[in-house]
Amino acid sequence: MMAIRELKVCLLGDTGVGKSSIVCRFVQDHFDHNISPTIGASFMTKTVPCGNELHKFLIWDTAGQERFHSLAPMYYRGSAAAVIVYDITKQDSFHTLKKWVKELKEHGPENIVMAIAGNKCDLSDLREVPMKDAKEYAESIGAIVVETSAKNAINIEELFQGISRQIPPLDPHENGNNGSIKLGKQTTQTTRRCC
Amino acid sequence: RNYYGGNWASFSFSGLCSWIRENKQKRDVREESDDWRKLILETEEAISLNMKDNTIQHIEYICYANQDLAEDVNEAGALRKLSAFGVSDNGEATQGSEKECQPVESQSLGPESCEVSPESITCNDPESATERSDAEMTSESENLCDATSDESALEKGKMENASTAETAALEPKKITYTQIVIEGRRFNIDLVSKLLYSRGLLIDLLTKSNVSRYAEFKNVTRILAFQEGRVEQVPCSRADVFNSRQLTMVEKRMLMKFLTFCLDYEQHPNEYEDYKEYKFSEYLKTQKLTSNLQHFILHSIAMVSEADSGTIDGLKATKKFLQCLGRYGNTPFLFPLYGQGEIPQCFCRMCAVFGGIYCLRHSVKCLVVDKESGRCKAMIDHFGQRISAKYFVVEDSYFSEKTCTNMCYRQISRAVLITDQSILKTDSDQQISILTVPPEELGLPAIRIIELCSSTMTCMRNTYLVHFTCSSTKTAKEDLEPIVQKLFSLNSETERESENEGGPEKPRVLWALYFNMRDSSGIDKNSYDSLPSNVYVCSGPDCELGSDYAVKQAETIFQEMFPNEEFCPPPPNPEDIIYDGDGTQTEDPGFSNSSNVITKPSPEENSGGDGDSNQFSEEQHEE
Repeated sequence: MMAIRELKVCLLGDTGVGKSSIVCRFVQDHFDHNISPTIGASFMTKTVPCGNELHKFLIWDTAGQERFHSLAPMYYRGSAAAVIVYDITKQDSFHTLKKWVKELKEHGPENIVMAIAGNKCDLSDLREVPMKDAKEYAESIGAIVVETSAKNAINIEELFQGISRQIPPLDPHENGNNGSIKLGKQTTQTTRRCC
Repeated sequence: RNYYGGNWASFSFSGLCSWIRENKQKRDVREESDDWRKLILETEEAISLNMKDNTIQHIEYICYANQDLAEDVNEAGALRKLSAFGVSDNGEATQGSEKECQPVESQSLGPESCEVSPESITCNDPESATERSDAEMTSESENLCDATSDESALEKGKMENASTAETAALEPKKITYTQIVIEGRRFNIDLVSKLLYSRGLLIDLLTKSNVSRYAEFKNVTRILAFQEGRVEQVPCSRADVFNSRQLTMVEKRMLMKFLTFCLDYEQHPNEYEDYKEYKFSEYLKTQKLTSNLQHFILHSIAMVSEADSGTIDGLKATKKFLQCLGRYGNTPFLFPLYGQGEIPQCFCRMCAVFGGIYCLRHSVKCLVVDKESGRCKAMIDHFGQRISAKYFVVEDSYFSEKTCTNMCYRQISRAVLITDQSILKTDSDQQISILTVPPEELGLPAIRIIELCSSTMTCMRNTYLVHFTCSSTKTAKEDLEPIVQKLFSLNSETERESENEGGPEKPRVLWALYFNMRDSSGIDKNSYDSLPSNVYVCSGPDCELGSDYAVKQAETIFQEMFPNEEFCPPPPNPEDIIYDGDGTQTEDPGFSNSSNVITKPSPEENSGGDGDSNQFSEEQHEE
């Protein structure tokens, strides 16, 4: 049986660049022009094979908290990868990439895999950000880069495959959760009391 | 503010240093413009709010660690700036290097072995690098291997491993201030120090609302006591009692008998009926318990005051402690990974997922009250934006002295230490401990100490983060430094070496912070001068160990606003959420004049006015 590894991926990028659309396309293979700001889903999941492992992506959306720069450090905890999205038709959204990378540097875990997605590549008539700029920047920070279109399903799968390939092989020491406790409703009520 | 949770927040080391600077700065707010007054109509009046938080006083920090290099060192970021990703044979190089590193790895890596420190690459500070522990060396060399297949780097890594391996484990690692600064982001230093009772209200709330999915916890591993100048472990579970080497057979039987009785003391009223009017400490004396056991029960298990807690209070507290045992581990307490400051963020995340809007870096100038109805209509922020809402939840510290006339606040004395060893060394260096130190003089408050190890993700490897808390009688430093001196050595590196003759070696303090925090809990709403009825005041953190007060307060405020709604209901399954067909997306940057910027999901979501109430969520701690 193939081992399933859960990998948290956090999405970053300005409001309106298509973060949620990318997840929606990847997870549900669906695109909605009027996607409402991500409500109700804390994260979406999709499992893809990678070598002799299965990677179960837990993709965290910003829940709109990027809008007022109110993403909390907690959002980044334990992420294996970050997808930073900009809109190829909006130079501004590319400028702010650096700001998101800085955030990651401050709050993100070490060795996080970074992927830059230049979304809306179906609108290349309106392009403001040359592919070359994105490539150069990505290289300088050691990130993967692809241009995507959530609308036309271009490079979405490839984006996540790229991430999968960059995930380091499972460290034997990393097994388990180093003794931490997750609370859940189904918590085993061991009534092993003191006396 | 650029952080969540107000006085419930936690900070990285550099974050804490800026917090200190901010609080020390006496900013004159009056010079700021009064333009916002123009936004207030004739039929309205303003309640102006404090622009500066006055809840923190008497901040003092002292660095005891070696500071020689500390001038222009910066906190290292998480990301390594390497283009190794592009190298095609990267995989091979990694595997090869892993083999090289393995022998050292297996001997030195603790439970957080997955933690590597790429700082060592980015930091251009060779001197501190040579002082690093072997564990860090390992990860450093591993990193180097991993990042590049350069042979010399591999060699260097191996050599360093070899040279440090011998001295490992014997000496406590010498940590310099520079290292603390560089590794600053590994610290998550809470302004309040609390634990979660494993059957307490906060755990119930977290699990019921499923907010718990955003947090992970560690069980506190030890309950400690401080008697006759010595720190010792308190046996409290059945297994602990039987395995204890410090208790005699007779004591074991006495303790078991008494604890068993406490678990259902209500069933045996004749055992304590006659002592109801007595203090718990006096009652304990009447039981067949040695003074050693009385100390354990009074100070470490019941954690009640010797001077003024009655028998019933003590029995109740002991029972609560015992009931919490065994749910998640051998002690009754849990601590959140990355610190208590995660908890407010977790609630905020859940709220945001259901459409709540958060705004950091906005301060609030005033509340706008309609003269005729006497109700609050809006608030004005420091950009001069007017935001309307139906309900306002405001933390106490936002109100100016004018609103809080004759208010008499208690204070909390706090100290935070970064130390190099545990106060009670054992085989494992990854312990989370709580110690209650009774007061020197009867009637003074007890001091609560919580020591956190690096696997709680609140401090860097080879250090401990130690929190001191008590209700203030003087300044924090005056209240707490005497006990700090009893438990720790405050000497600098050089002094220590000369003094190091005889006597058990105390852990060293590397860095210490003292401050007083206002305790606004327990203040009656009516004490605030003429507030509109739709303004709800919530307090800052209280001094207790648990968070019951905050949870109850949040629920009370919520019920006053929405009497027919459930407080923090379980979230619906994402699949059950149906979106409104006409839920249009707003392109404007958020705060239009109304609060309805949120596209509301269908009735499945308990919409109970979230959209209206969340505007103040920034100040709504714990709720």
